Amino acid sequence: MADVAQSVGLFEQIRLVAGLRWRLLRNSMRKKNNRLDLIGLIFAAIFGGILVIGLCFAFYAGAYQFLSNNRPGWIALLFWGIFLFWQAIPLFVAGFGANFEFRTLLRFPLSLSAFYIIGLAYGLADFSAIASLCWLLSMTAGAAVAKPGVLPAMLLIGAAFILFNATLERLIGSWLERLLSRRRTRELFLGLFVLSMISLNFISPLLNRYGAAARPAFLRLVPYFAWLPPSLAGRAIASAVQLQPAGFLLGSAGLLFYVLALTLLLRRRFAAQYGGEELSETAAPARPAIRPIAAKDDGPDRLRLLSPQVAAVLRKEFRYLTRNGFTFLTLLLPPMLVFIFSMNFTGRHPTWGKGVSADFFFPGMMAYLILILMAPAYNSFAYEGRGIQTYFTAPLRFRDVFLGKNIMLVTVLALEMALSLSMLAWRVGLPSLHMLVATVAAMVFTIIGQLTVANWSSLSFPRKLEFGQMRGQRQSGMAVLVAFGSQILLGGISAVILFSGRWTGNLWLPAEAFALLAAAALGGYIASLDPLTELAEKKKEALIEALCR
Amino acid sequence: MPDVAIQTYKLTRTFGNLTAVDNVDLQVAAGQFFGFLGPNGAGKSTTIKMLTGLLAPTSGSMQLLGLDFVSNSVEVKRQIGVVPEGMGLFERLTGAEYLNFVGRMYGLDRATTRHRSEELLEFMQLADRPKTMIADYSHGMQKKLALAAAVIHGPRILFLDEPFEGVDALAAGTLKALLGRMTERGTTIFLTSHVLEIVERLCSHVAIIHQGRLVAQGSLEELRAGISGEEGSKTTLEQIFLSIVGQSGAERPQLEELSWLT
Repeated sequence: MADVAQSVGLFEQIRLVAGLRWRLLRNSMRKKNNRLDLIGLIFAAIFGGILVIGLCFAFYAGAYQFLSNNRPGWIALLFWGIFLFWQAIPLFVAGFGANFEFRTLLRFPLSLSAFYIIGLAYGLADFSAIASLCWLLSMTAGAAVAKPGVLPAMLLIGAAFILFNATLERLIGSWLERLLSRRRTRELFLGLFVLSMISLNFISPLLNRYGAAARPAFLRLVPYFAWLPPSLAGRAIASAVQLQPAGFLLGSAGLLFYVLALTLLLRRRFAAQYGGEELSETAAPARPAIRPIAAKDDGPDRLRLLSPQVAAVLRKEFRYLTRNGFTFLTLLLPPMLVFIFSMNFTGRHPTWGKGVSADFFFPGMMAYLILILMAPAYNSFAYEGRGIQTYFTAPLRFRDVFLGKNIMLVTVLALEMALSLSMLAWRVGLPSLHMLVATVAAMVFTIIGQLTVANWSSLSFPRKLEFGQMRGQRQSGMAVLVAFGSQILLGGISAVILFSGRWTGNLWLPAEAFALLAAAALGGYIASLDPLTELAEKKKEALIEALCR
Repeated sequence: MPDVAIQTYKLTRTFGNLTAVDNVDLQVAAGQFFGFLGPNGAGKSTTIKMLTGLLAPTSGSMQLLGLDFVSNSVEVKRQIGVVPEGMGLFERLTGAEYLNFVGRMYGLDRATTRHRSEELLEFMQLADRPKTMIADYSHGMQKKLALAAAVIHGPRILFLDEPFEGVDALAAGTLKALLGRMTERGTTIFLTSHVLEIVERLCSHVAIIHQGRLVAQGSLEELRAGISGEEGSKTTLEQIFLSIVGQSGAERPQLEELSWLT
């Protein structure tokens, strides 16, 4: 052998990993399609910088005020703020998927200790960690200016607090990595995340209704918070200011206990990774099972009115819908939104005396729901992936694919609308009969009218999307533009016709007009299927290329 | 039944300035196990995509089972089976659901589709994971499923783009067993592969494409005789392949240049 690799120092390895992380970021900007990401990143950096620097002043002023005004115990609030920010932000970005897997470093000659320290140092390069470090420094400066004697205590407690947060953040990250390595868990996590974000809308009405009653219960919990690390850090600093060594020692020892316990747990996790923990979910080869072929009686085909191809696409679409945890959970959105809006804008609002009438609320709500639910139809092949090739190798006309997909979408829309209508009837009440008929006819017109455009858009501007991921999951810009344009156009036409009933004094005029338009839209839709089939043949290469990447 | 299963006339496909497939005249007799070989980027996948309707030719024509593909695409597709590059699976379905879907797409009735699906899953040793989604299958399991889907309707021609790529010996054995059954019933098999040993063992006839042009075509014996100049030669397919595509020893990278590896 000519030579043998030399052992590399720990700091050199940390430097190499930091360099690797930087180069990955830099190289990702070189791709043409990431220029927009770069602009976004610049804006995010500007706003992030303003946030961090602005809050640096706030933390400095807070620490200075608390210590100057003999309220040193309140400094715990600042520790709590940093703690929550440091731990919560990485949790929010976890569902978006990491662009660099730290575990890949295991292929290199690293000892477990080096792997542990690099892992910990790696966590300190996160935005939340850097911002928190800045704020801790500002706090320390503020406290030292107010009470110079507290500086050693601040430095000691600050260092322990950093170690605690860095260790906890990496530990949670490591657990999450293990949890999210499974596709189903990842999708469920994403769906729950979206739902929890939407649920934030309930906070205001819930606080209005139950806030006063919940306050005593919350106050009873406060003493228990005193034993948590941010409170312990605050207690140690307050004791140092008040020259109470026992209190300082108790706070410091408590904090160090947490650091020690978390270090042990993190070391166990890293040791498992270091030992080659398998996170893959690919099915292992199994012993072949000998089973008799079931002689099931299939019974009559429930979709026998459709051609076998349309029925097959319809069944496949239904299965895809039920398998996509994220999409499936978002189907809960429409009735939930009706509920939220009804709480905020209508007569049943807990604090408002009066609200919007059902004759306005009903068509407005339905238009909003169509806006949300029709959007995916403009890129309806997004989740097909490589399966799209089957549609072109199978002996079928592409109109069958559209029919199957569109029937599925219309069925889902009908169910969603029925659910939302029930919710409306319960929360707000039904609109007048002429408005109900006009709105339903308008929905038929706008949905069928949009289907034709959406099918064309799906063929013309396809963009692959992955299940259970949010990073890089953007629709094609043109598809969004087409969706937006056609929805504005059809929505505008519908609004004018709906109001025409009031202007002309003929309340049934909108219903009649929409019935005619719906019939015309249906005719247009049927007539569009053959030209779309020809278009699919022309666009198949672009479609396959876009979806099979 | 026509004697010629696949026939192309000056089949050409360009991508901008690049001519990926250049005036290819291919002829595959019915019932042949045909290997289509070529180095990376030679035009194998482009040719197979054109022959299966995934890519439109820029010029030229092709006939499958005596039918012009362009004017009879649906009828032709009904009689062919395909394992395309990347396998073309719907990963959110289970194996059984996917086979049922494909069977119905090819117009089989429900009972036949279900019966064949179950048989194929058993044969491919995929029946013991009825609730596992394809996304969670190993690569070998996906290959086996893709082949099962390609044969469920009993095609007369089977196109396989790299069916053995990334497949272990056990899975490869199952695939070969199924292909054996297909040839017994007279199916024409058109296969591309980089594994020359497999092609040599399975295929009776071979064509070699290089830089978009068809540079050799014939039975293995004919190709051997063409290279060595004598009948009954023991020349391997690898030797034939290297000789035809020009990757001779002189053009290969010289290991001696990597002095630190010596």
